[in-house]
Amino acid sequence: MIEVEALTKCYGPTRAVDGLTFTAQSGTVTGFLGPNGAGKSTTMRIIVGLERPTSGRATIDGQRYADLVAPLQAVGVMLDARSVHPGRTAFRHLLAQARTHGISRSRVDEVIEMTGLESVAGRRAGTFSLGMGQRLGIAGALLGDPHTLILDEPVNGLDPDGVLWVRGLVRDLAAQGRTVLLSSHLMHELALCADRVVIIGKGRLLADASVPELTAEGGSLEDAYLKLTSDAVQYRGRSATGSVVPITGVTR
Amino acid sequence: MNRATSTPQHRLESTRPGSPSPTTAPARPGVTFTRVLAAEWTKLLSLRSTLWTAVGTILAAASLAYALGLFVRPGDDQSGASLIVSGYLLAQLGALVLGVQVGTGEYGAGTFRATFTAVPRRLPVLVAQVVVTIVAAFGTAAVALLASYLVTIGARSDHGLIVTITDSETARILAGFAVYLVGIALVGLGIGALLRRPSAALVAGVLMVIVIDHLLAVNPGKIADTVRALLPGSGARLLIDDAGLAVLDATSLGPQLGAWGGTAVLGGWVLALLLAGGYRLRRHDLT
Repeated sequence: MIEVEALTKCYGPTRAVDGLTFTAQSGTVTGFLGPNGAGKSTTMRIIVGLERPTSGRATIDGQRYADLVAPLQAVGVMLDARSVHPGRTAFRHLLAQARTHGISRSRVDEVIEMTGLESVAGRRAGTFSLGMGQRLGIAGALLGDPHTLILDEPVNGLDPDGVLWVRGLVRDLAAQGRTVLLSSHLMHELALCADRVVIIGKGRLLADASVPELTAEGGSLEDAYLKLTSDAVQYRGRSATGSVVPITGVTR
Repeated sequence: MNRATSTPQHRLESTRPGSPSPTTAPARPGVTFTRVLAAEWTKLLSLRSTLWTAVGTILAAASLAYALGLFVRPGDDQSGASLIVSGYLLAQLGALVLGVQVGTGEYGAGTFRATFTAVPRRLPVLVAQVVVTIVAAFGTAAVALLASYLVTIGARSDHGLIVTITDSETARILAGFAVYLVGIALVGLGIGALLRRPSAALVAGVLMVIVIDHLLAVNPGKIADTVRALLPGSGARLLIDDAGLAVLDATSLGPQLGAWGGTAVLGGWVLALLLAGGYRLRRHDLT
């Protein structure tokens, strides 16, 4: 279970995360949504101890991430597919991670097989496509067989086959009683694999509800998302003629 | 790729909670310093750049020593040890690069996310990097010293140079080669940990170790000589024979450091840079 309580993170005068509170329960897939710059990645980095919150706290099964004795075996983390030294092979990258916890070489081979990277495990990561990088990131998250998984945009760059695989993977992990927190911009995908959805905008909580609750009014999850975040979008594109692109999802 | 989707249920069987497979259950779970050290060692050896830097450093040291050896004539009254270690002028660059590579390797592509989510206490990683840098730099220096010996004293017997390892001055100069290169590699590691960008760290390192010293040498005076004595390159005094040191101290208006005083200065730099790098690592956000 991941608990985020009144979490605030300021970068100078900017409040990237602003009093955010939510819980990701065990045995469920919690989708984490929000427009670009809403504070999703910052929140995830704070949960795994890469950043310190300005105030508030984030715990995993009651413990701060930095206090975990065996972090990889408690929490699997994939924050960015480009987290590998380009000159290192996929196998060596995973092996170095495994060695910090005394995880065996055979478990490294196991996660390579689970993510379908057998044929490229000996290749340097700098030659990987985005999708292969994602698979390597997921392999790293699974390495310690953790009870909690935190995945930032895991399907980004994956082929349809890979998207289907991730969907099945996170459903299975939750079915085994594990906690999965997963961010994505693909509404259709989240509607299929998430039990609950936490939506944030400008660092604040906009909604924390189950997928059926959000779609109760008859619209899709995307409609509900666009409606909720319409005031919280910081970066909005314009059409070629200069007018703001209308949000069709809300009126449809 | 297709295989990955076939039967995820089956594939996850071994990862079910309650029935951990024997391969995933180590005797004592968790992060220990020994394990972090093993991981850092794996990381260092898994990069081709490490090998190339070591080979380049050895070749540079031996080539320079060989070239300078060509000018030695019988009766020159030059010490053999000084000739063997003369390649340090180029080799120190290699040592610096090695340290910078270890210090900045985490930050070029965001490897630090994988590293510091595995070791959230962070500092053990830096300490392990210090250990692997010392081992790698010392190993490189030892091979460079042997290669330099072979292409100078070993290759020619006509110049009358002799090396007596039991002589304390000779031993100090030869050991000094390794001590100095290890020190400069640690300076590179410290700057790398502090600046996190390879190019910035390398430029800062070359300025500190080589360029500033040469600029100040053009304008000798009390201030310039004092500053020169307090630069990390001062550690190279360990490589200068007693006669050379006497001349150096006699002409300098700055502090009289002798042979080991420079080593203390270099050690001070290493300590200060690593403490600063450690402070940044421990106290600041990793984004």
